[in-house]
Amino acid sequence: MTDTGRRLDRRGFVGLTAGGLLLPGLVRAQGIAPATEISAHERSLYDAAKKANESATWYVSHYTSETAEQIGRAFEATYPGIKANVVRTTAQVAYQRLTQDMRARVRNCDVFSSTDIGQYTTLKTDGQLEKYQPQNLRFLFETFQKASDPDHFYWVTSAGTVLINYNTRHVSAADAPKKWTDLLDPKWRNRIAVGHPSFSGYVGNWVVAMRLAYGWDFFKALEKNKPQIGRSINDTVTMLNSGERWVGAGPGATTQNSASKGNPLAIVYPEDGTLLMIATTGIMKSTRNPNAARLFVEFLMGKRTNEIHAANFTDTTRPDVPPYPGAKDLATVKLLRPTDAEIEKGIPEIRELWRDTFGV
Amino acid sequence: MLRRLSVIEPATLLWLLLVGALVVLVAWPVAELLVASFTAPRTGAWTLSNYAAAYGRARYVEALFNSLYLGAASAAICAVLAVPMAWACSRTDMPGRGFAWFTVLAAFIIPPYLGAVGWILLAGPNSGWINQAWVWLTGAEESLVNVYTFWGMAIVIALHSYPFIFIFTKSALDLVNSEMEDAANILGAGTWTTTLKITLPLVWPTILAGIILVFLETIALFGTPAIIGIPARINVVTTQLWQFFEHPVRAEVAAAYSMPLLLITAGLIGLQKLMLNRKGYVSQTGKGGERRMIKLGPWRWVLLAWCGFVCLLSVAAPMVALVQASFSRAWGRGFSLDNLTIKNYRYLLFEHDGAALAVVNTFVFSAAAATLAIFIALAIAYVVKRKLLPMGGALAFLCMAPFVIPGIVMAIGFYAAYAGPPLTLYGTAAMMILAFTARFLPIAYANGSAGVQMIHPEMEEAVRILGGGRLTAVKSVVIPLLKKALLGGWLLVFILATRELSAAIFLVGPETRTISVLLYDLSEEGNLEVLSALGGILLVITLVFVGTGMKLIGRDFMLRRGGE
Amino acid sequence: MSKLVLRNLSRRFGSFTAVDAIDLTLQEGEFVSLLGPSGCGKTTTLRMIAGFIPPTGGTIESDGVALSSPDAVTPPERRGMSMIFQSYAIWPNMTVAENVGFGLKLRKLPSEEVHRRTGEILEIVQMGHLAGRYPAELSGGQQQRVALARAIVVKPSVLLLDEPLSNLDANLREEMRFEIRRLHDEFRITTVYVTHDQAEAMVTSDRIAVMNAGKIEQVDAPFALYNRPRTRFVAGFIGRTNFLEARVHGGQLDLGGFALPAGVLNGHTPAAGQSVLLSVRPQSIALAREPGGDALSVPARIVEGAYLGEHWDYLVAPEGAGETKLRVTTLPSQRHQPGEQVWLRFDPDQMVPIA
Repeated sequence: MTDTGRRLDRRGFVGLTAGGLLLPGLVRAQGIAPATEISAHERSLYDAAKKANESATWYVSHYTSETAEQIGRAFEATYPGIKANVVRTTAQVAYQRLTQDMRARVRNCDVFSSTDIGQYTTLKTDGQLEKYQPQNLRFLFETFQKASDPDHFYWVTSAGTVLINYNTRHVSAADAPKKWTDLLDPKWRNRIAVGHPSFSGYVGNWVVAMRLAYGWDFFKALEKNKPQIGRSINDTVTMLNSGERWVGAGPGATTQNSASKGNPLAIVYPEDGTLLMIATTGIMKSTRNPNAARLFVEFLMGKRTNEIHAANFTDTTRPDVPPYPGAKDLATVKLLRPTDAEIEKGIPEIRELWRDTFGV
Repeated sequence: MLRRLSVIEPATLLWLLLVGALVVLVAWPVAELLVASFTAPRTGAWTLSNYAAAYGRARYVEALFNSLYLGAASAAICAVLAVPMAWACSRTDMPGRGFAWFTVLAAFIIPPYLGAVGWILLAGPNSGWINQAWVWLTGAEESLVNVYTFWGMAIVIALHSYPFIFIFTKSALDLVNSEMEDAANILGAGTWTTTLKITLPLVWPTILAGIILVFLETIALFGTPAIIGIPARINVVTTQLWQFFEHPVRAEVAAAYSMPLLLITAGLIGLQKLMLNRKGYVSQTGKGGERRMIKLGPWRWVLLAWCGFVCLLSVAAPMVALVQASFSRAWGRGFSLDNLTIKNYRYLLFEHDGAALAVVNTFVFSAAAATLAIFIALAIAYVVKRKLLPMGGALAFLCMAPFVIPGIVMAIGFYAAYAGPPLTLYGTAAMMILAFTARFLPIAYANGSAGVQMIHPEMEEAVRILGGGRLTAVKSVVIPLLKKALLGGWLLVFILATRELSAAIFLVGPETRTISVLLYDLSEEGNLEVLSALGGILLVITLVFVGTGMKLIGRDFMLRRGGE
Repeated sequence: MSKLVLRNLSRRFGSFTAVDAIDLTLQEGEFVSLLGPSGCGKTTTLRMIAGFIPPTGGTIESDGVALSSPDAVTPPERRGMSMIFQSYAIWPNMTVAENVGFGLKLRKLPSEEVHRRTGEILEIVQMGHLAGRYPAELSGGQQQRVALARAIVVKPSVLLLDEPLSNLDANLREEMRFEIRRLHDEFRITTVYVTHDQAEAMVTSDRIAVMNAGKIEQVDAPFALYNRPRTRFVAGFIGRTNFLEARVHGGQLDLGGFALPAGVLNGHTPAAGQSVLLSVRPQSIALAREPGGDALSVPARIVEGAYLGEHWDYLVAPEGAGETKLRVTTLPSQRHQPGEQVWLRFDPDQMVPIA
């Protein structure tokens, strides 16, 4: 075990109330329009953006389309007159578009969010990112502050978890795996669902973390149980729902969202560590909308965005916003988080290894 | 007293404009792609290294072979499914021919992707309904069927591609004169001998054309291999291409990787042309003859059963599974009254941020693309068939070229060509419409070309000698005569455009999301209930369009017939 | 002024010469047929006149204005001509009246006039009662009449007909020949008529241009063409004939085994030692059971005979003429048995030397 497991600071989880937890997500998001305090800094960005008639175009891949749209709308509601163009696609497409844009010297994108840290290091090295120190960064969990770029080119704006999910019809809570290595038990043969590291950043991070923790032998052993390989990490939810598979290495958020509809699903935070996935955001170099882009970044770290996160079953980045229903207090959970360098170096390696071991 | 006269007809300008349109739609994006495949990503220098990267590794080459096997397998299955149906519908007294038609139509309308989801629900090895029923009925330990296999995938793809072969075969069979069969009968051949030795061989080139079409469709398909192929541990070209777009993105390698596909498909189309050019086949004569329905006797029930079986596999079973999911609160809970809800539909229609827009987009884009494609294709077919411009063959090739380009590859070319200046079409409806137009231009062209071929040139010459220009001839004679054929072609392109995923997913912008992209997004989000409901909405609206079209032009609209 | 002048007109398709430097002049109101076997270039010539095909050499002029030359071609729609096509090309999407009125509408005539003239011409071609029908509901002959009406109603400067009767059955074809001639007599439209059927050409035409292998062999009125063919091709193509190779020997016309007096040929007596080809029509030879008693009567034997109802068709072998056999037609009442001895009697007026 390397020291990749870190604990989220407990500080700041004070705002969490039972009422907040139990309220159905949608009602909370739509019913209560929380008064967003606009800081002086935000105010000056807003004024400057308004004056220059700016808008913010946001390439994003890790939210569901609806969550991304809601954030865009909320931004527009908070800052009337500044349009937020939300371009939500899968991660490959988003980045491919970005590179095509750069080649064509088009500046479509102002703000770029992705879960693939490697994309940021490349963009940073190529000088394609704008340096900026968001003022709202200090309100995030310390872990997220630390995971942001020390050179101020990109920052954490969203997070997710990879943990064990299972079908409650076929597996009782007592029988459910308690830690990752439990998945190697032959009783789960033909019962496990996972995603694919070449199609999902979450899966890539998880595979890197597992390899760091247990070596590649973990996956060789896992293959003996013939896991079902999907593309997206969310495919595990589908597989569990159908009863096709019973346990999976899946996303906390989507699983709980599906369970909240009545699907027979539950999650286990593994004893040997829940993978913490971060999504970062950067501002594109020489954006035509510098003020709107900065304002948008501030907004992504703001309270309002995090409330939308929680309402849509996405992990919150601020201690002052309660997590989505059914989520554990992350501060009580052991978290795994490989370093940026480990991820960047590891992902191409594990993709090859994966192909060798699983054949696809 | 010779007077100098102008050689250029005013219409010539229009033809040149069309050539321009073809360049915009096809040549430029493809050229961008070709150039990219020979360009080093950072330096921009000329290189072969992209090809080395794409084909230097056994696993990438293996994916290519998987695609070829898959294409061949599903094309063969399609032929088995479709040819008996087409024969029964065209030449026999089988009852329920309308039902068979409906089956084909429905299978055609269902996006392959949605059908694949349905089959996962049905034939998942552990939880699929079929397997559950099997285990419950027989008490067996082992499941009966497994969709996550090579053949599972080939069959699921075939179940939504066989309409192509049906359409081709039926329209050819409709042209076989019964006298051909009578001649064999009189010599003592029975119905079956006649059918196998005379009728089917006559239309064999057409069947082969359908098989090639399905083969090409299959190797260009992304959705089904993505959701069935990967769990089945089978990598194909399209899923491999997708991986080239993972960080670090290697679009140049992807371009190089797809080039051999272009060669393979160009070769196949050449082969098909060769076969169709041989004399004496029915598709060549284009003349319908007397047709008599073959009396099948008890065999007609066997054929009807076959049609029913195909309907069950391709339409009924996956639809039941999807409809169940779409009306479930949580489809994982299975059937029960308290699990029943219309909330998914309500959510999509009234609460979802993008669904209503996606529905509108889908039908607006599809209708616009169908209109554009039909008219460009008709005009090009006209120019080629009437030899109005030199190099007609090259024009025809340009029209057919998109056929051979996988949607995602085409989309990359499109993005490279049009997203940035000078046109800056990214995120606009125009981009999507142009891409759909280009993608389905071959289908429209085949339709238009067959139509123009049926119009005797003297029909137009009669207009011209009476004082009408070429455009008057087209307007007052060609278009009215081809009205039905054009409307049929329009519907065909329209349906295909509503199903389109592989190009759309790459070109879609914030305001231009379509239903198929939304379906894919929802599947990535694991939201099967809403996904199924959206599929239901798509089908209902498409059915309304198609139903209206069929009212207007009769149910044979998909057949490649020109003229009256 | 000449209405239509084809001057040195040629058309090549690749290495194939379809029309080879032809000259033809039509006077106003004249009806000229282009007659020849298929592939002789007659349809290509017609389509060049219409403007559908540009010439590769030569010119076409109408009323002194150049219409076609290798450099420039007036498009068909600006020639003021009309044409009747082999397929009729009746537009199936329009009624009979709409078909006929189409050309008038293109000329932007007021709708009452379009209506009136359409009605008139349909009466003339006896189609007035079918004005509201669609072409699919008409017989072949009726479609032909619609095509005629459509072409004539616009009062074209030149009317072109491309084998218009070839798709009709025999009786109808005969009827329509006279119909076409009648309409021409009524309207006097300058007409070019393409056909491979000599009877059609003879019934309808003022003059016939016989074409062969891209060239015009002879242009003449039907009577002259039949009775005074100038080339072997014309003689053989227009009606049936016997070709006899003749050589002049000492005042005799040696026909290879039998001879006739050299002076019989009107004004065309060839010089001694020269040979000449004669065309002798089968009906210009009389058959008799008795010798005629003069030099024009030649003994022969019946080889075979065929009864065709309107006449007998015999093959006869002149005595001493070796392999030479002649076709002779006689009245239906005149019966001979094969092997029977007969006497042929030639009519010098109908023995035509061919160039």
